[in-house]
Amino acid sequence: MQITRRLALGGALGGALAASMLAGSAFAQAPTNIDLFFPVPVDGQLARDMASMIKEFNDGHPAIKVTPVYTGTYDETLIKTRASIKAGKPPAAVIMSANFITDLKIENEVSSLEALIKADGKTGEQFMSQFWPALRGNAVLDGTTYAVPFHNSTPLLYINGDHFKEAGLDPTKPPQNWAELVAAAQKLTKREGEKVTRWGVSIPANYDYLGWIVTAFTMSNGGRYYNEDFPGEVYYDTPSMLGAITYMRDLIEKHKVMAPGVTQGPAATTAFLAGQTSMLFASTGSLTHIRNNSKFQLEVGFIPKNVRNAVAIGGASLMIPAGVPEAQQKAAWELIKWMTSPEKSGWWSRATGYFAPNMAAYDLPEMKDFLAKAPQAAVAVKQLQFAKPWFATYKTVPVRKALEDEVQAVFSGKKSPKEALVAAQKAADEILAPYNKETALRNF
Amino acid sequence: MTDIPIHEAMMAPRAAWKVAPVLSQIRWSGFLGYALLAPSLIFLGLFTYGPIAQLMADSLFVRKGIGAATEFAGLTNYKAVLADPSFHHALVNNVIFAVLTVVPSLVLSLFLAMALVHSTRVNSALRAVFFFPVLVPLVAAASLFLFVFLPGVGLIDHYLARFFVNPPNWLGNPDIALYSLIGVTIWKNAGYYMLFFLAGLQSVPPDAYEAAYLDGASPWQRLKYVTLPYLKPTIAFVAVISLLNIITQVDHVFVLTKGGPSESTSLVLFYIYQQAVESYDIGKASAATFISLLALLGITLTSLRTLERSFGGAA
Repeated sequence: MQITRRLALGGALGGALAASMLAGSAFAQAPTNIDLFFPVPVDGQLARDMASMIKEFNDGHPAIKVTPVYTGTYDETLIKTRASIKAGKPPAAVIMSANFITDLKIENEVSSLEALIKADGKTGEQFMSQFWPALRGNAVLDGTTYAVPFHNSTPLLYINGDHFKEAGLDPTKPPQNWAELVAAAQKLTKREGEKVTRWGVSIPANYDYLGWIVTAFTMSNGGRYYNEDFPGEVYYDTPSMLGAITYMRDLIEKHKVMAPGVTQGPAATTAFLAGQTSMLFASTGSLTHIRNNSKFQLEVGFIPKNVRNAVAIGGASLMIPAGVPEAQQKAAWELIKWMTSPEKSGWWSRATGYFAPNMAAYDLPEMKDFLAKAPQAAVAVKQLQFAKPWFATYKTVPVRKALEDEVQAVFSGKKSPKEALVAAQKAADEILAPYNKETALRNF
Repeated sequence: MTDIPIHEAMMAPRAAWKVAPVLSQIRWSGFLGYALLAPSLIFLGLFTYGPIAQLMADSLFVRKGIGAATEFAGLTNYKAVLADPSFHHALVNNVIFAVLTVVPSLVLSLFLAMALVHSTRVNSALRAVFFFPVLVPLVAAASLFLFVFLPGVGLIDHYLARFFVNPPNWLGNPDIALYSLIGVTIWKNAGYYMLFFLAGLQSVPPDAYEAAYLDGASPWQRLKYVTLPYLKPTIAFVAVISLLNIITQVDHVFVLTKGGPSESTSLVLFYIYQQAVESYDIGKASAATFISLLALLGITLTSLRTLERSFGGAA
């Protein structure tokens, strides 16, 4: 209709022009415009890396135009995503903290990806099989795929090799278990009379980080932290967590190898880089930063175990919010598949220090070269076989904070581990109660 | 345009009916008055009063069940907020924070202003130095202090280490963290309040000091009987704006402590953020916001009245 009328009206137009118009209307359909919300938890360089990645996608996909929207931290990204869903204009894709997916699913704010996967002729299981097994627990909920892992991390033990040599320890053999960790920390702590000039070990204890490290210690102690299959249960007041918190408390009070009180993430990293701490528990996501700024022999090791080797993953996944129109969903799905392909996954991993969630990324020659040059990055990948899903419950953040506030009180010498865990369990149970009432404790 | 001077145009709606003969002109000037106000009124409506109305509505609704729609619930949210121990905690913290920030800020800025009241070259330079923290955005200042407060390596501990065996963990000890934040706030604001006092001190007539000198008043007596009485309106004004600053600014809490450790630095505004974002409880967050809005309104009204009184009831 449109074209014939134009042709009729445009008697003055030459045939060539008319032909080009026809061709134009057939091919240069207006591209599907979509927004991608992305947080940058690390530093400014990553925002530029993201922009160049999206530009590459747009150049290769003329039918889709992605606009990357920087949305601050993980928490702010959650706020902005929820606000835009409420306003009826959700972005087509979001890079979301991996453990928020459960909460979003409970609130009906995330789209299932099953239909999109099925349209590609795959099952959810086949699609997810390209990612490390540890990452699937936070993306596949009750058998339905809701998210695709984008960049992930685990906690690591960073050690100052120069200090190890000075203390007569072997820097190529970081402490493997809790006994070795205490022994090494005692040798590494330096005192001048009452004054401590160097701490043996440091644990970041600000919100978010602390919960993650407590998970690592609890899991290493055989524990579970939360019920992976039911988001209404956490296991705070349990022997495995009590053992973990008591061990951490003893590092401060009994062995005096860790500074009392709460050391925040940036403070812990800075003190480690300044040589004031010999061992540091921190994310693989900090690896690039620490490697570039350390003026000493840097080595990394697994999180030391008591009962078993185990850590929780961290990081972020790509998801499609609820209420995105179908055409946009399809465009977002193209973007998600492209961003999590082995090539892009590997490229982003090398730029950031996070590990690549796509296992095939590690078979690529660029990645093999990189790991040969940065063997520390390989340790994180090796630890993945012991990794487990990240705590994700109904109201993840307040449930986590209920524990963190109490553990901070233990670190400050204000509560005993048992008192703290009883209080944390009680507070968490209260937050989880409304969910349990509608699910596990429903009346029939 | 008309020949009406601006100030007359603004006064027009009030003065209009008195001047009957030039009715058309008055209508026009009345319209002009509202037209001049319109941009502010529209923006205030859209971005201040509209949201407040929305907030009041939100605070009366509760979600029935997970992921379900909201339902009218009367004052349930208000009861929940007032019964929440975390809210009490935040309220107590906020009162301590307000008192221990406002009083020292006032004393310090008055002291600075009196020391630098004479405009010499050195004093001008020093004024600029003390004013400098005001120019740094609060978020940037807080980010700087994250490193100033670093245990062991930070600027403070670097110097304190010469005198004390183990300096405290400024932001990591729940007994100290709030006072560290108070320190940052005083550092940030004292220079700003100093400006008001400098201006206020200009209004103290030199004769009053001269008379005091002749009567042999001591420096303390001169302060108490001459300077302070003249500065009363300034003090009242600065007290009000500093109090409002304290309650409406939490940027440094976000950057430095996120309300921790163990909730020791959680302030009311931060509590609201936690309810809205972390607990995703919009009703409770709205109720807490409305409560603090009422408190702010109360503080402002009482202080404005105090202000009027200290200006000699000249309102």
